[in-house]
Amino acid sequence: MDAIIAQVSRTLAQAVLLVAAGPLVTGIVQKGKARLQCRAGASVWQPYRDLLKLLRKGTVQSDTASPFFRAVPVLVLAATVTAAALVPVLWTPGGGDLPFGDAILLVALLALARFLLAVGALDAGGAFGGMGASREMTVGLLVEPALMLSVFSVAVTGGTTELGLLAARREALALSWTAPDLLALFAMLILTLAETGRIPVDNPDTHLELTMLHEGMLLEHSGPGLACIVLATHVKQLVILSLVAALFLPLGLAQGWGAAGLGLALGAFALKVLALSGFLVLVESSYAKLRFFRVPQFLGLGFVCAFLALALRVL
Amino acid sequence: MSVELATRLIDILGGLLLFTMLLILAAGQLFRAIYAVAAQAVFLGIAGAVLAAATGNVDLWIIAGITIVAKAVLLPWLLMVVVNRVHISREIESVMPASLTLILAAGIVVLAFHLNASLGPVRQAITGNALPVGVTLILIGVLVMASRRKALVQMVGLFASENGIFFTAMAVSQGMPLIIEIGVILDVVLGALVMGILVLRVRSSVDTDIADLEDLRG
Repeated sequence: MDAIIAQVSRTLAQAVLLVAAGPLVTGIVQKGKARLQCRAGASVWQPYRDLLKLLRKGTVQSDTASPFFRAVPVLVLAATVTAAALVPVLWTPGGGDLPFGDAILLVALLALARFLLAVGALDAGGAFGGMGASREMTVGLLVEPALMLSVFSVAVTGGTTELGLLAARREALALSWTAPDLLALFAMLILTLAETGRIPVDNPDTHLELTMLHEGMLLEHSGPGLACIVLATHVKQLVILSLVAALFLPLGLAQGWGAAGLGLALGAFALKVLALSGFLVLVESSYAKLRFFRVPQFLGLGFVCAFLALALRVL
Repeated sequence: MSVELATRLIDILGGLLLFTMLLILAAGQLFRAIYAVAAQAVFLGIAGAVLAAATGNVDLWIIAGITIVAKAVLLPWLLMVVVNRVHISREIESVMPASLTLILAAGIVVLAFHLNASLGPVRQAITGNALPVGVTLILIGVLVMASRRKALVQMVGLFASENGIFFTAMAVSQGMPLIIEIGVILDVVLGALVMGILVLRVRSSVDTDIADLEDLRG
């Protein structure tokens, strides 16, 4: 019983950490982009201020929207936060047999959030919502199988899809990467760009109707509902970055609640996320957004890399 | 350097070579393909240096150095000069959909690794997965040459294919005699020069593309 309580408390602590730090990561990425463009940029705390501002505002809703539309933001946030609880961020799993951290469940929850968002956008009946939803689902169709393939290519060696066990296994091997690991990592990095809605695939800064993917689906939401979805977007980004870190760089994971181990784990986590955000900043600043019909080619590269990673493991 | 470490390094470098090959195949712009082939030559040079350190073969050091100088610096620079001189559009045009070439590439990799199982006696301890990776590079290089319209990209494909031959030779036989390697590199440089001049001449005198030559009838 104690083991289960310990496991649950760890899981909750990790979810709280990811939700609390999600907007900060977005702020850091935006700050980094601004610095690379020789602008001062907004403070890294700006996403929090935006969220507070949205929470204070009232809600305006389209006449054509059904009651389900009001529930969409909460459901999206709930699915994303649940997904956040599944990623091993600070601790390796010790004791406790509850399957918290299954990779398939994680990807399914992210897909559920994407589906709910798209349904909400279609429900409101706006033209841009429908277009954004259709594009987002197209990208999702290309990203999710490749994401599963690269997760599987790591899971095949461990014989489990439990992310915590995979992370612990790789940490025990002292990060000894082989060729399939490298290919899977490259695939994950390419997919990260698509999954976090970053520049070669989507442009997070624009509201220009022809280029929107993710933002198009948010147009009909307002007030606290919009705040929920924006927070879910921040959290999803951090979840994806943590997933990459957990699969390929699981260094410095703590064992228990000891202060030294916990501090080390937090520091290591901050470093890993900073490095991956640096990658996002560099790519966003040095590439142009792809034409939408070129996106499948870009994601196809990720898909082939992930497929090869798995094929090299099996062959 | 121990044999195990060398095998692991060669394995990882093989993965990087495969990745750069996929980058060449998926590149939408000429510059990206040229950068990718330059990076591939750098990895090839590093692989040569690793093998040299592992086997103590002095010739391999020289070959690694020549590879980096000639293939990672000289040839990409030459391609860049040609690209800047002929003012062609920098988009890469393909005769078939890009996704189809990627699928074909995946098929080639699987095929090469599958065939590798039946080539047991050729595989040596130090080479790890070098043989199938080399075969894959050769075949995907040919695929690039076959599926692209522009002569410059076809040259990139030829260089990549050549890198594959080098990697196979270095890893499987632990280096050919120095004189042969130097001869091969000279051949490639000369071939690139001839092709570069040809592209420039064709471009300046008849203002046409290589793909247009298919329409000629005797």
